[in-house]
This record gives sequence, structure tokens and C-alpha cells, in this order.
Amino acid sequence: MNEKLALSDDILLSIEKPERYIGSEINSVIKNRDEVKLRFAFCFPDVYEIGMSHLGIQILYGLFNSYPDVWCERVYSPWTDLDRMMRDNHIPLFALESQDPVRDFDFLGFTLQYEMCYTNILQVLDLSGIPLLSAERTWDDPIVIGGGPCSYNPEPIADFFDLFYIGEGETMYRTLFDLYEKAKADGISRHDFLVMCAKLPGIYVPSLYLVTYNEDGTIKAMTPIADGVPDHVSKEMVTDISDCYYPMNPVVPFIKATQDRVVLEIMRGCIRGCRFCQAGQLYRPLRERDAKVLEQYAIQMLKSTGQEEISLSSLSSSDYSQLPELVDFLIKECGDRKINISLPSLRIDAFSLDVMNKVQDVRKSSLTFAPEAGSQRLRDVINKGLTEEDILHGAHDAFVGGWNRVKLYFMLGLPTETEEDIAGIGDIANKIAAEYFDTLPKEKRGGRTIEIVASTSFFVPKPFTPFQWAPMNTKEEFLDKANQTRRGIMSQLNQKHIKYNWHEADASMMEGVFARGDRKLCKVIMDAYHKGCIYDAWGEYFKFDTWMETFREDGVDPFFYTTRKREQDEIFPWDILDCGVDKKFLYREWQNALSEKVSPNCRKQCLGCGARKYDTGVCMEERE
Amino acid sequence: MNKVRLKFSKNGPIRFIGHLDVMRYFQKVNRRAEVDIKHSEGYSPHQILSFALPLSVGATSDGEYLDMTLNSLDSIENLITRMNAVMHEGIVITDGKELPEITPKAMTIVAAAEYLVSFRQGKEPDCDWERLLMEYYSSEHMETQKKTKSGEKTIDMKTLIYRMEVTPEHGVHMLVSAGSVDHLKPSLIMESFLHTQNEELKPFALSVHRIDTYLQGQDESGTYIEPLICREEDGKRVYL
Repeated sequence: MNEKLALSDDILLSIEKPERYIGSEINSVIKNRDEVKLRFAFCFPDVYEIGMSHLGIQILYGLFNSYPDVWCERVYSPWTDLDRMMRDNHIPLFALESQDPVRDFDFLGFTLQYEMCYTNILQVLDLSGIPLLSAERTWDDPIVIGGGPCSYNPEPIADFFDLFYIGEGETMYRTLFDLYEKAKADGISRHDFLVMCAKLPGIYVPSLYLVTYNEDGTIKAMTPIADGVPDHVSKEMVTDISDCYYPMNPVVPFIKATQDRVVLEIMRGCIRGCRFCQAGQLYRPLRERDAKVLEQYAIQMLKSTGQEEISLSSLSSSDYSQLPELVDFLIKECGDRKINISLPSLRIDAFSLDVMNKVQDVRKSSLTFAPEAGSQRLRDVINKGLTEEDILHGAHDAFVGGWNRVKLYFMLGLPTETEEDIAGIGDIANKIAAEYFDTLPKEKRGGRTIEIVASTSFFVPKPFTPFQWAPMNTKEEFLDKANQTRRGIMSQLNQKHIKYNWHEADASMMEGVFARGDRKLCKVIMDAYHKGCIYDAWGEYFKFDTWMETFREDGVDPFFYTTRKREQDEIFPWDILDCGVDKKFLYREWQNALSEKVSPNCRKQCLGCGARKYDTGVCMEERE
Repeated sequence: MNKVRLKFSKNGPIRFIGHLDVMRYFQKVNRRAEVDIKHSEGYSPHQILSFALPLSVGATSDGEYLDMTLNSLDSIENLITRMNAVMHEGIVITDGKELPEITPKAMTIVAAAEYLVSFRQGKEPDCDWERLLMEYYSSEHMETQKKTKSGEKTIDMKTLIYRMEVTPEHGVHMLVSAGSVDHLKPSLIMESFLHTQNEELKPFALSVHRIDTYLQGQDESGTYIEPLICREEDGKRVYL
């Protein structure tokens, strides 16, 4: 047992949830600091309960700790109460397992899951006593490395990182660690080490590229400034996911995490090609994990954690070809042990309704549809292959099966959107309610009625999607559209049964700036942080006015990144990276979107996106 | 069906795990150890287990109790071994016994708790507290204000303290009334005492260790209290 705590009892007793900071969780890994050569602090830059819900860290934490010479520990953003105390009392940020200061580690890794965590990265560096800028660090500081979806456009945070790891972490870290251990033994300079890293596949070293700009502020070129540094960095990817590391003993938090359960990752990638979706492009091609392997994992992980829920994880579980047998197995295994099964991202059809009926209380659960757009025209633009007929048919079957609650998800601000598309949101919600009343005569409703919740988020164009060329709406346009949606719903016959929620427009705008931003934003982010911006992902802490003030002071126009129309031949900040999908393909899909042309999914027809070069997954399957 | 009572300790960093999370922790221990625990009926069944007396966050203990209802039990010793094998090192099951099928819930029979309380470094009072505290304890009444749900009321702590002494290690060893009726927190005693010396208890000044939790019983010699699991040779029965 590690008896040491970095924080005094006084502090632990005067903050919210001291359990966030004491480590000691079941399956957390304690090693002898004198017996390891390399210490890695792995940070999810948000509060503990969010960070502990993330599968990626659990995978790499387990993988790194399987190396005898490496000890990987976890770090999360201290919540605002502790943040203040650490600054007031000059307490350095520490890793949970050893409670040792992060600054003494060899590596500090950040997983970058959403753009709104960027100021929290600076918080973690700052509290650790690590210089915020890569350029100011020495061998006394850890190597700061980032990975995860936002590393596919790392430019807005490029100055804060020594390295970015592009792609799936399982493949290249061992090589990177070996290189580090050798560099330390040989006594080479930190800069030379970074140059060596830049030659490894998947490693992007932002400081080794010079960015030049055109007069209009767009990028002219990104040029390597050291010998042997590649022009482009290609993503790393696991080709056989049935035969790669999986964490059998994930860490079990004492407090309730946001997602507190065993997670079975059934596949990576997606065949659907929805044009707004970044994950659908980044993780191509779709690769399935063998059901037999997953069954073993499930048993072992339930045993090692004692969790009472198991969940399948993927971008679109209905596309997993071995779903029926896997679900049958789980129902058999879990039923007797009183373990819940959670099946997110299932398409509503006869099979999924039957399964859901078996694993959950119909009266308590709700059906989820994500049409994303209100009209068939706009759904064709975004290539969301869900028709009104699919929805009404699925809803009908569900109502017969006893469901009476429906959740609908839409986006506002999609390219080419018109007033009719927005009006379609109210229409479809109304039709679902009407379907309920038509399906079930009054005496069969058991005193219940239909409840529909329609939610809209604001569309943010993301790098490496066909919509990376699309202008984003302004805040005013967003709010106007939300109002149109609300009025559209209010005008429906069944409006009493429809509740409408919409998201914050300010936060969406900031997300849009960072998503397609460039290096000029590094200064803005640092200045906003120094003015007190942290936890921007949390509505109560997000200081929109401070951000706008900082943009003005730094002479950076945020709308350059959001509402501007981009030309076909513009060089994007993320073009230095290769996610496996060709820019030509993405542009073709952008043109298809504008001409309202749908594209078939990968199982129906290969569209030549470029991911075929990996020789794996769905690319190797025979077409239907 | 078997009812069991387990005694456990809680030490080290996980003293900061709150009561509800300790409950969730034991539910997971039971699944890891494949304990054949009984579940409640209904659509969201939960394990039938309950604790004797919540422990405040930050306090350590050698005398916590947990009651569980099982569908089957091979032996108490096996159960404890299996559970301890999958526990965090800071929580250890130290004893256990099988209970008659009809037994009142542990939390309803708790009558007292034994503590070792000490001042954290730098938080000691300015006065000669060891002598003065014992003087205070020797007075006929120890009246103080206790906060309750419906406001404050005056209580006499004297009748609720069964034993109190200062140890050679500068701790206060006390056996005091506890449970749902007359729960007396060690901090209230120390706070009230310091008030008589015109001093305030500094924030988070006390480090609290619970030694054991007691129930109340009756036999031919009178009313007594003893630990929830108590063997004759322990000699821990105290007649009131």
C-alpha cells in the first residue's frame, strides 16, 4: 500500500471529493520507483470522473505498465477548488499512484478528446511547474506528448507540445520509449532527441516545421527545418485488433465515474461515411474484434473489476457482424450475475428492439434516433442513411413493444440548410407522436402517453471530413435557427408531447475556432489561460467574453477560422498529417454533398477513400 | 439463507473514501470474490448488505461492521479469505460470525463507539489540555449544545461518555454513546471542552481512529455494552 499522500489531511478534508486525488483504486498499478527506467504521467485534462470514464487511457495505461521498465501513472485536472489551493500553497501537481510531482516524470502525455480542454492542458503544465512552451523546456522537464482525436489538428496547441502521436497508441510507444532510454543513456541533447523522434512513424514534432502564411492569412507552406524530418506524418494503426493489447484489469474508481462499467470495444472505424463525422474518417478502415476474443475479455474483466455493468463500445454497434452471438453470450453470462448490459449506438430495428427488451426495463428506457437533419434532402447532403420511413417504422415496432419515450438528435447549421429543413424537425417529431396514437388505441396505453425529447446541437466543421471546407454559422445564425426549430415544434398538433433542448452557441463557436485553427491561436489560448480561463467545457466556468477580449487584444479574428469559405486548393493546418483518407476523396464527398448525392457505405461499395492501403478490415471483405 | 456479520478495518489513504463509496466498494468486492449474496427483488435488484455505523471521511478504524444476507455459505473463514484476496490493502476483514436468521439490523443495535482521538501536529491547544480535559471529565455535568435537524438542544455529555482517559501517547481514548438515538461525536466533546478554556478547536484539528463499535445487551448482571462481534476472552464487555 502506498501510504504517501501529496495533499495534507487539511486540504483533503476541505475540498470536494478528496477521492479524486488519493489514487489507491483497485487495479491501479504501484511499482518500485527505483526499479523502473521510465516514468510516464498520463493525463486526461478534465476532472477525474470524466477522465476515468475514458477507455483509451485504460488501454495505454495497461500496455505501458506491462513493460517492466516503465511505470505509467494517471493525472487529471484538479477541480477549481483544489486548483486555487495548490496555487496559494505552491503545491506541485502530482500523479495519483506514487503521489510524486509530475515534473519529475520522463513523459507527460495528454489525451486530447475535445477542443474545449485546451486551457486545462495549460493548467496541468502550470501546476506541475513545467514551462508552458515547448521551446522553454529542458531535460529537467518531462517530454510533453499529445494524442487522441484533437491531435489530428494539433496546430492551435502546437507550441505547448514537444511531440504529438498521430493515430492508435498501441503500435509505436515501445519504440519511442526505447529511443528515449537510449537518448538518456547516450546523453544527447533534448533537441536532438526530438529530431530523432520526428523520424519515427506517427510522431509529429511541431517545433521542427516552419509555417509560412499567405497575405490572406491562410497557410503557404509547412516546411521541415531539420534534416531527415518528413514532409508528412501518417497515422499509426493496429491492423489486427483481435490480436493486440486489451486491458483485462482496468482501474476501478471508488467514486462514481461518468461511465462506470466494463467497456468492450467491439470494433474500430465505421463504414457509414456520414459527412459531418470526424471519427468516421479518422479510424478507417472498420476493423472488427473477434466475438470469441471479446467473450473471454468480458468474463475476465467482470471478474477483475466487480463492475455491475458492461457496455459495448463502437461507432455503430449495429454494423458489427457478430453482434447476435455476442449479445446472446452476454445475456446468458450476465443474467444470473445480476449484471446490466448497456448497448449504445444501436440502430432501432426488430433485432435491436428484441435485444433491448431482454436487457433493460422497457418502461424506464427510451428509444434514441439520430436523424441529425430534419429533411430527407439535408440527410442526403450529410449522407446520413436514415429515412423518415426507417424512423416511423422503428418507432411503430417499439410502441407495440411497450416503449413510449423517444429521444431525437439533430444538428443545426449544416451546409446548405434551409428553413424547410429546420421545419422538418418539428414535422418528424410530430409524426412520431401521431404514430404512437395510431399504433396504440387509448385502452392499450396503460395510462401512459408519448414523450418526445428533441435536442439540437450546433454543427462544427471538423478537419479530415468532407465538411472541412464548409463555412460554419455565426452565433446569431445558430440562435435564430434554434428559435425557428422551437417555433416549428410549437406549431405542431402534438406539441404538448415534444420537449425541445438546444446547446450553447458560444461554446460551439469556440470549438469551431480550435477545430480548424492554426498556430496563431497558441498565443490566444495562453493569454486566455492567464486571464483565468480553465474548464471551458464546463458551462459554469466558460468565459466567452474573456475569450473575445483576448482575440481582440491579440489581433486574431476568430471568424477567420469559423465562417470563412475555404477554397479547394487551400492548404489546411492539418494537411501536414495523413489520417489515411485522401484529401481528393474528401473533396469528392464535399461535392457530392453539395449536389445532394448519397454515397454507399463501405460494405456496399468501395469509394476509394485511401484506407485500402492498410490491407485490413472492411477493405478486405467481399462486397455484398 | 445465511446472515453474516463481518468486522473490518479501514486505514491509509482510503480513509478519504466516503460511506456510500465504501458500500459500492463492497458490492464490487462481492462480485470479484463471487460471493453468493442475496439480491433484493424487483427490476433493479441490489445486494442485501448494510453497515453498522457510518465513519466520517478522513477517520480510520479497526472496528467497522457490515451485515450481509447470503444465499449460501460454506464457512465464514472461507468467505473472509475469498473477500480479503480481492480487497484493497487498506480495508481488511478481521473477523466475522454467522447470525441467526432473525437478527435486528446492525445499525439499529449500535449503542456506543470506542475512539482514539489525537490532535494533528500543529493543531494542539495552547492550554495544558491533558490535565484540564480530565478535570472537565470529572465534573458532575458536561452540558453542551448539540446541533440537530430541528435546531440546537442542550445535552449532558456526562451520561453519554462511558470512559475517557488521556493516553501516554497524548491521545484521548474514549468510549461514548453512538447510534441513532444518542450519537456523540468525539469532536463535540473536544470542542465543548476547549470552549470551557476559551479556546476554539482549530479546523481539522482532530485525527480520529475508531477502535470498535458496540451494541447494548442485558443479562442477569445488568445492562452492558460490547463490540458487535465479541468473544468472552476479549474481555471487552462493559456493564453500565
